[in-house]
Amino acid sequence: MSDTASDDIRLDDLGYEIAGRPVLSGLTLATSARSIGVVGRNGSGKSTLARLMAGLLQPTSGTIRIHGHDLFRDRRAALETVGILFQNPEHQIIFPRVDEEIAFGLRQLGQSKTEAAEGARAVLAGFDKLHWQDATIAALSQGQKHLVCMMAVLAMRPRLMILDEPYAGLDIPTRRQLQRYLNRADTRLFHISHDPADLADCAQVFWLDQGRIVAQGAPCPVLADFTAEMNRLGELDDLADLAG
Amino acid sequence: MISLTSPVETRAHGWPAGAKLAALCLASTGLFLTDSLGLHLTALALVLVLYAAPGRVFFTAGMRHLRVVLPFVALLAIWHLITAELHAGVLIVLRMVVLVALANLVTMTTRLSEMTDLVHRLTAPLRRLGLPVHLLETAIPLVIRFIPVLVARAETLAEAWRARSRRRPGWRLIFPLMLHALDEADHVGEALRARGGPLGHTRPE
Amino acid sequence: MERDLARIALFAALIAALGLVPQITLGFGVPITAQTLGVMLAGAVLGAWRGAAAAGLLLLLVALGLPLLSGGRGGLGVFVGPTAGFALGFPVAAFATGLFVEHVRLRSAGLTAGLGAVFGGILILYLLGATGLSIVIDKPLAEAFRLVAVFIPGDLLKAVITGLLVQALAQARPQALDWYRGGAAAGARRL
Repeated sequence: MSDTASDDIRLDDLGYEIAGRPVLSGLTLATSARSIGVVGRNGSGKSTLARLMAGLLQPTSGTIRIHGHDLFRDRRAALETVGILFQNPEHQIIFPRVDEEIAFGLRQLGQSKTEAAEGARAVLAGFDKLHWQDATIAALSQGQKHLVCMMAVLAMRPRLMILDEPYAGLDIPTRRQLQRYLNRADTRLFHISHDPADLADCAQVFWLDQGRIVAQGAPCPVLADFTAEMNRLGELDDLADLAG
Repeated sequence: MISLTSPVETRAHGWPAGAKLAALCLASTGLFLTDSLGLHLTALALVLVLYAAPGRVFFTAGMRHLRVVLPFVALLAIWHLITAELHAGVLIVLRMVVLVALANLVTMTTRLSEMTDLVHRLTAPLRRLGLPVHLLETAIPLVIRFIPVLVARAETLAEAWRARSRRRPGWRLIFPLMLHALDEADHVGEALRARGGPLGHTRPE
Repeated sequence: MERDLARIALFAALIAALGLVPQITLGFGVPITAQTLGVMLAGAVLGAWRGAAAAGLLLLLVALGLPLLSGGRGGLGVFVGPTAGFALGFPVAAFATGLFVEHVRLRSAGLTAGLGAVFGGILILYLLGATGLSIVIDKPLAEAFRLVAVFIPGDLLKAVITGLLVQALAQARPQALDWYRGGAAAGARRL
């Protein structure tokens, strides 16, 4: 493990509230692992954590430093440091055509229109999808839309890629293919999922429950404990409980 | 999104969009300035020739786009038959038809991308006045992207309604559709922020 | 800022969708498309400036050649034809509706929005629409107004629906209505 602060993800007593109700509280962690997994149930605060990490939300208390930057304040550093892949590609895709969607991020990094168009073509070619460049988003399948999102984010060459349940609802072959593309990309991964199977390859795993980290460590023991606990809860009826 | 640009390639497709628009403005103003029946008839003949020149498919498509003015032609015809001001009636009908036909002709022979470029060029001076016209570069594609999404959402809502009701859905679908639009706006706003905000915007440090 | 831009774009898309989806028509004999309802909603939900921007953005796309007005109309012909006044009136109507809801405080959000829609989406829109028609068909404004007046009952219905929808929105998601928050603390407490 390196000890240089610039390589680290550091959360210090991080808290986030929505309308006075704590969603995350007292999150402290420091890691420089190359692939990090966060496992938790629906409503455990995982998605909020992903948005805080990407600098899209401002913490109610505590601090986050990604590679030394406060990404909520420093949006320029954010664009160069992190990319975030949302769960639903419909929520992420801004443009009607594939090439426009990919070129958008490149222009945000300061490239000219022609440079960005060139860059988008290069990314598509790198994924062997050059024939997609004029395709309209509306004509793509769900898995193909996911891949467009992934290409659009990877085109910006983020040092850290945040994945917010990117595989939920996808079939196994699509999952495998997307996973392969991600592993090939030269970026750190911060992968959030409710499914322990998605996180088995991570170097380090955190278990998030009701806005707090309840366990952390190597994937094997943490995910095994998580699975056992989830199976135990499956026998109960906590669906009946209302929040707040 | 399918534009009204004609798939039949005409020579006018190659002319600069700005020139076509300027010609349209000039012709329209000209028609309003004259009351000569002869000039109006000449204009109509000229427009028909322009529609007919690229061939049958183009001509029928063009006439189909003109159908929307038919009720008004009928209305004016009846009106002027009653008031017996035939000369004035013919003039007004001709002017209306020629104006719409000419404007449609520009649309039919200009690609969406050229029109968009023209808008960017025409609005560029406004930016110096402090108007945020650079936002159009992001806003226009966003609308084009989300129309099919909202139409599809409306159709699934109608389907869900029909699955459980024998009555027509009608306006009751609009509330969930509007909520969907508001939610999508929140999501896409977030996605936009995640990748650096709208195009052409100088980011604050 | 990103959220405002996204809302403007999404409401422009909503106005278009309301004119395009055949399932969303208001029955009562003649099917009336819901497009002007979309214009009223843009003003009543987003407020004056953003509502006008949404309607204006839609018009820009129509001018670029997209068939987004009800019945699949579009292109530059829309702006010189007999109904040009109505089309060009959309952003003004949304603005007026928004101005009304932002400045008039009534008992409920729904009532405010409904009356705002009558003001912007009917009074102002018909004034502009009839003016446009009177220019194109070269008739006095009063005559042009008589010709379009048959559509007013349908639009009154849309204003009522605007009121109902905004009332429902104020209850389900008050934070979506920026103008409602300030003066609505009492209403929110009553819930």
